[in-house]
Amino acid sequence: MNPKLTRRRFIKGVIASGAAAASTSLWYSVSGQNRPAGSVERLLSINVNGQVRRVDVSPQETLAHTLRYKLGLTGTKLGCNRGECGSCTVLADDVNIYACSTLTHEVKNKAVLTVEGLRAADGTLHPVQAAFIEELSPQCGFCTSGQIMSAVALLNTNPRPTREEARQALSGNLCRCGAYDHYLNGVMRASGQLS
Amino acid sequence: MSSHDVMPDMGLYQPVTVEDAAGIARQFSTRGWLVGGGQDTYGWLKDRAKRPEVLIDLKGIESMRGIRETADGIEIGALVTLTELTTNSLITGRYSLLAEAAGRVASPQIRNVGTIAGNVAQDVRCWYYRRGLNCYRAGGNLCYADTPEGMNREHALFNASRCVAVTASDTGPALVALEAQMVIHNGSSERVVSAENFFVGPNIDITHTTVLRPGEILTAVRIPAKWANAEFYFEKVADRNVWDFALVSISAAMRVNNGVIEESRLVAGAVEATPRRLDRIEQAIRGKARNQQTADEVAALAIQGARPLNFNHFKMPLLENLVNRAVRGHA
Amino acid sequence: MTFMHIGKDFTPPDVEGKVTGTARYAEDFRRDGMVFARLLTSPIPSGRVVSIDASEALAMPGVVGIFTADDLPPSAPPANPALAKDFITYVGQPILAVAAESEEIAEAAIERIAIEFERRPFVVDPLDTLVEGGPDPYPMGNTLIREGAAAAAGTTASGTAVGSIKWTRDQIASFRAGRFPTGAPWGEEWAYGDVDANFAQCTTVIEEPFVTIGLPHHSLESRTGMAYWENGKCYFHGSLQSQTVGHAQLARMVDVDPANLVFINENTGGGFGSKIFPYPMMAVTGRFAKALNRPLQLRITRADEFYIGSARSGMQGWIKVGLRDNGRVGAVDIAIIGDAGSGGGASGSSAAEHVSIMYQPEAMRYRGMSLYTNTTPRGAQRGPGQNEMAAVLSPIMDKAGRQAGLDLVELRRINAPGPDALIGPRQGTISSSYYPQAIDQAAELFGWEAKKALPRQISATKVRGIGVGEGYHSAGASGYDGLLRIAPDGKIHLHTGVGNLGTYSYAAVLRAAAETLQCSWENCVIEHGHGENHLPHSTYQGGSNTIFTETRSSHVAALDAIRKMKQIAAADFGGAVDDYSIGGERVFLSSDNSKGYTYAEVAQKAIELGGEYSGQVFAEDLNDTTKRSVQAMQGTGLIAAAKDTLPKTGTTPGFAVAMVEIELDTETGKFDILDYTGIAECGTIIHPKGLRQAMNGGGVWGFGMAAYERHVYDPQNGLPANVGLYQAKPPTYLDVPLHMKSGATDMPDPQSPVGSRGIGEPSQGCAVAALMSAISDALDGHLFNRTPVTADMILNHIAQNDFNTGDLKTNTF
Repeated sequence: MNPKLTRRRFIKGVIASGAAAASTSLWYSVSGQNRPAGSVERLLSINVNGQVRRVDVSPQETLAHTLRYKLGLTGTKLGCNRGECGSCTVLADDVNIYACSTLTHEVKNKAVLTVEGLRAADGTLHPVQAAFIEELSPQCGFCTSGQIMSAVALLNTNPRPTREEARQALSGNLCRCGAYDHYLNGVMRASGQLS
Repeated sequence: MSSHDVMPDMGLYQPVTVEDAAGIARQFSTRGWLVGGGQDTYGWLKDRAKRPEVLIDLKGIESMRGIRETADGIEIGALVTLTELTTNSLITGRYSLLAEAAGRVASPQIRNVGTIAGNVAQDVRCWYYRRGLNCYRAGGNLCYADTPEGMNREHALFNASRCVAVTASDTGPALVALEAQMVIHNGSSERVVSAENFFVGPNIDITHTTVLRPGEILTAVRIPAKWANAEFYFEKVADRNVWDFALVSISAAMRVNNGVIEESRLVAGAVEATPRRLDRIEQAIRGKARNQQTADEVAALAIQGARPLNFNHFKMPLLENLVNRAVRGHA
Repeated sequence: MTFMHIGKDFTPPDVEGKVTGTARYAEDFRRDGMVFARLLTSPIPSGRVVSIDASEALAMPGVVGIFTADDLPPSAPPANPALAKDFITYVGQPILAVAAESEEIAEAAIERIAIEFERRPFVVDPLDTLVEGGPDPYPMGNTLIREGAAAAAGTTASGTAVGSIKWTRDQIASFRAGRFPTGAPWGEEWAYGDVDANFAQCTTVIEEPFVTIGLPHHSLESRTGMAYWENGKCYFHGSLQSQTVGHAQLARMVDVDPANLVFINENTGGGFGSKIFPYPMMAVTGRFAKALNRPLQLRITRADEFYIGSARSGMQGWIKVGLRDNGRVGAVDIAIIGDAGSGGGASGSSAAEHVSIMYQPEAMRYRGMSLYTNTTPRGAQRGPGQNEMAAVLSPIMDKAGRQAGLDLVELRRINAPGPDALIGPRQGTISSSYYPQAIDQAAELFGWEAKKALPRQISATKVRGIGVGEGYHSAGASGYDGLLRIAPDGKIHLHTGVGNLGTYSYAAVLRAAAETLQCSWENCVIEHGHGENHLPHSTYQGGSNTIFTETRSSHVAALDAIRKMKQIAAADFGGAVDDYSIGGERVFLSSDNSKGYTYAEVAQKAIELGGEYSGQVFAEDLNDTTKRSVQAMQGTGLIAAAKDTLPKTGTTPGFAVAMVEIELDTETGKFDILDYTGIAECGTIIHPKGLRQAMNGGGVWGFGMAAYERHVYDPQNGLPANVGLYQAKPPTYLDVPLHMKSGATDMPDPQSPVGSRGIGEPSQGCAVAALMSAISDALDGHLFNRTPVTADMILNHIAQNDFNTGDLKTNTF
């Protein structure tokens, strides 16, 4: 803080961090006070990565927000928060969608799968994950979770895609580093077409 | 585009019948917002450029799903996703024009949740308007794009009336070409409007792109058998091949007999506020051979009456070229 | 030379986290009591804040504070302030930050703040402020004045000021029309050789204007930060390309002793030059957290990232090139007006340097200036100056070559910089070059001769174009510290303070230490990304610099370790230090390898001996950051720390050449890239997969600059038209070729211990240039004289409606 007294200061008062509530608790109490009667129930049970999670979700809350802020699943990234990059791609009932542009209430009856849910029970990496390591597909890694989820969605329905099919399927995932060639190599390897 | 990006506090309704949905929509009127896939919704809300108070999520309404055969063609539920349009065998088999158009929308993830209703009802993409400026379309009294130095590369060639924004829909022109009928429900009654009359330009209503009014829901799209298995041509030219709106698109349906065009529908996208029916071309090619010569003879008719702005002159040769391709039948 | 590690693929330790979602970026960290801060940004392009009424916002439940420019040390133009008050210079400039218990509350609070602005005149095209009577972007003028000649391009170092420079209307009209303006003043100039005399000897002389439009970096991870203070220490989770080089600067920004700053940054979601050094917003994150005494996350939205995330400078220029009858470039005269946005510096001199190295003109003159506009601040972006110059230069050189009857590759070959090449105004030497071989390698892999023979007309509406392009950037520095520790368990901890921007070079360079120590990679542990991992002062991660610079520091640290191990062994087993060797992770007497220690044993001995062997004593020439790290580790093993004082002379070059074949649709203005071939000349390949990533990623960046990305501003209100990603148009999967081919000369640079140099910037330059060349070729050599070349421009050209290309306007469609 600059000590000059003539300057305007807008700090409401210092709160010792130890005394502060966890950031999420106040969220619930403040948000949504003016909601019309009859709107959706806030308390949801959602199926994420095979587990049913009970979570308090505001009506307008996006799935990306729930995953990242409420469930601690930060592997789902927010690159743009408006459906223009694909970093937040997750699967809902095996379909790849942008979690930033989906309301959590829209998927309450669906099975949501995030990058954290891909490993097998014994810890084995999903073939797409293993192939992406082998091909050194990611660069900065920020878009990688989304690329993987789109690749998983593709291979679930088309286990041996052509390279052209793969790039069409992954085309809703932007990579600012330009690692497209390497992600495609990863998909081809994951589908057993590259050795 | 503001620096906001979190969804604002609002209510959410998830009705399971059209009647309930229409009732809620009527109750909230302009304070309510119908949402299907939501892909043209959440940006508006995050930007605070539109401020409805409640969202009415239609996705729980089972009757608005699915693609079915009818006595005269097919009926597509309003909630049918763009991805379904690209994979459903009725569409790919008989109306591949629509499948192709749907397949060029945005990106796979957007097509996976974006609906046919949302694609036709989406708002224009004029960047000034999207930024939240108080232009004509936003209810104000000026246009930022149609000015001596306006940045209007993506804007209209035709029929601008104060507002120079263009339709952003890829499926809209295809539906106009297929003579689709739009089924609109208000909770108690249904009306059916031709796709051509469904879209409205700024001369009729500057703050809306369709005839839908508060309390009304687009529940289905009907495509008559007339154009089933016709000869089709679709092409969309955009800067990027993903996540981009058309600079110009062309949708064409033709009945060709022994190489001669008996009847046709040609509709251009992204050249005016609504899908633009190219009826002069349709008339000019009737009875002509579907070939390069015919295409060369008629293509220039497509740009008659165009009034280009500072930066969109290129849309004239582009439209002419796409019409040429559609008439001759190949790229 | 046979290497154990260099030139071989390996799995960098951070890849698994990237594919499992466990890799954490700044935005992924949470802390109890953390508050969320958001920015209020300026709606006006120029002016000042008259007053702020935040009473309503502060009264909202959950709002904990508001932070304004008054809470920061004062700053004066041209420094780019974190928060603006007296000098608002672009739409989107942050004015204040609001912290609240949730993001929703913070955003709601922003809407409740009333700000009174005073507007000032503004300008979005440099030539509009350069003209006499034209508006100035700052009240005090329009141009950057560098008082210190050493101030680097793309930074606002101290020793700069805002001044004014104006041309007459005639001079502006002349320049816009593509002619050199007589008598016009410039901001900087340099020359070598007798330019006029050399032009007189040229048989082909062409003059061309050019425009390159700036574009945002749009790193996919925005510059979100999270900070908290505990026991006088500031813990900062940030997103930088470099880990330690900016440590002291960041400490100053957040007002803490460098020893009490813990900077945590294991992963960075892209930077591309925009995160090389600490950026202004980090001051807000750190100081606001301190003021509130709560952990604070300042999340930067995508729109904010457009505004403050930096962008490439634009250029409006003129070039005159002369070829002699043998095809050699005899003389070049170039003038560049750089668009520095509302802050930063333009890169005209670096652009001119590209011409000087790639064509080796006998004589050359550069004149330039850096002008401010009321557009987003500019900074280094992947080869700033060099790459946009490469882009517009390539078709211009093609035109000269065609006029002289030369094949386009032959023209490059004739002028190619070899080992004796000279660079820049001082005509300095370079460390090495195998660039002529790179051209041959590219022509071979691409099949230039065969493709040249193919028919241009593919079908009635499709034409083929082939092109060649070249990229250059300086690719290495010296003088940084290497640090490693051999632990008593035999593990070799390789410490690095370079960042992790996604190229894996942070790990690859450490393999030079493993190479020198002849140890297995499995026994090495990489220490990076966290201030408490005891990191050395390492180079900035940017400018193709890491590989050369940090293989050297890794090497000298390893040499220091070997010296110490040999000394310990000699003391215990007898003989001279030079009588000892290393191998198999042992140090032993060369004549009797039974006499010696394993690395584990020698580490234990080092602990027992203390002193310089385990960090109690260290070299005085180490940087303070390194010294602190050594001190923190003292007594924990054999500590090796050394500053790179290896010989280094001349410029270390990174070169790349690319060839592109396109199929252009004359009815739509769109094209497909049928073949992309890029060859790197970056010395020895250190990490093959990493090199392919660099070449292909640079290629995609090149395609973006060539055909899609640019700033667009409305000159009537100063509003940017392409803030979001869908408007900014970075290339997608479907805008790049299905396969990309790359390779490298793989010849050693003598000044690197492993022969390697960097390639991050040239990889883009060669691609953008080759694509521009191919587009021109497809259109019978037509010059657009600008980047990007978009479908509308191609259509306008074909329709003989040369609509956008007639003048030197920038920040426009």
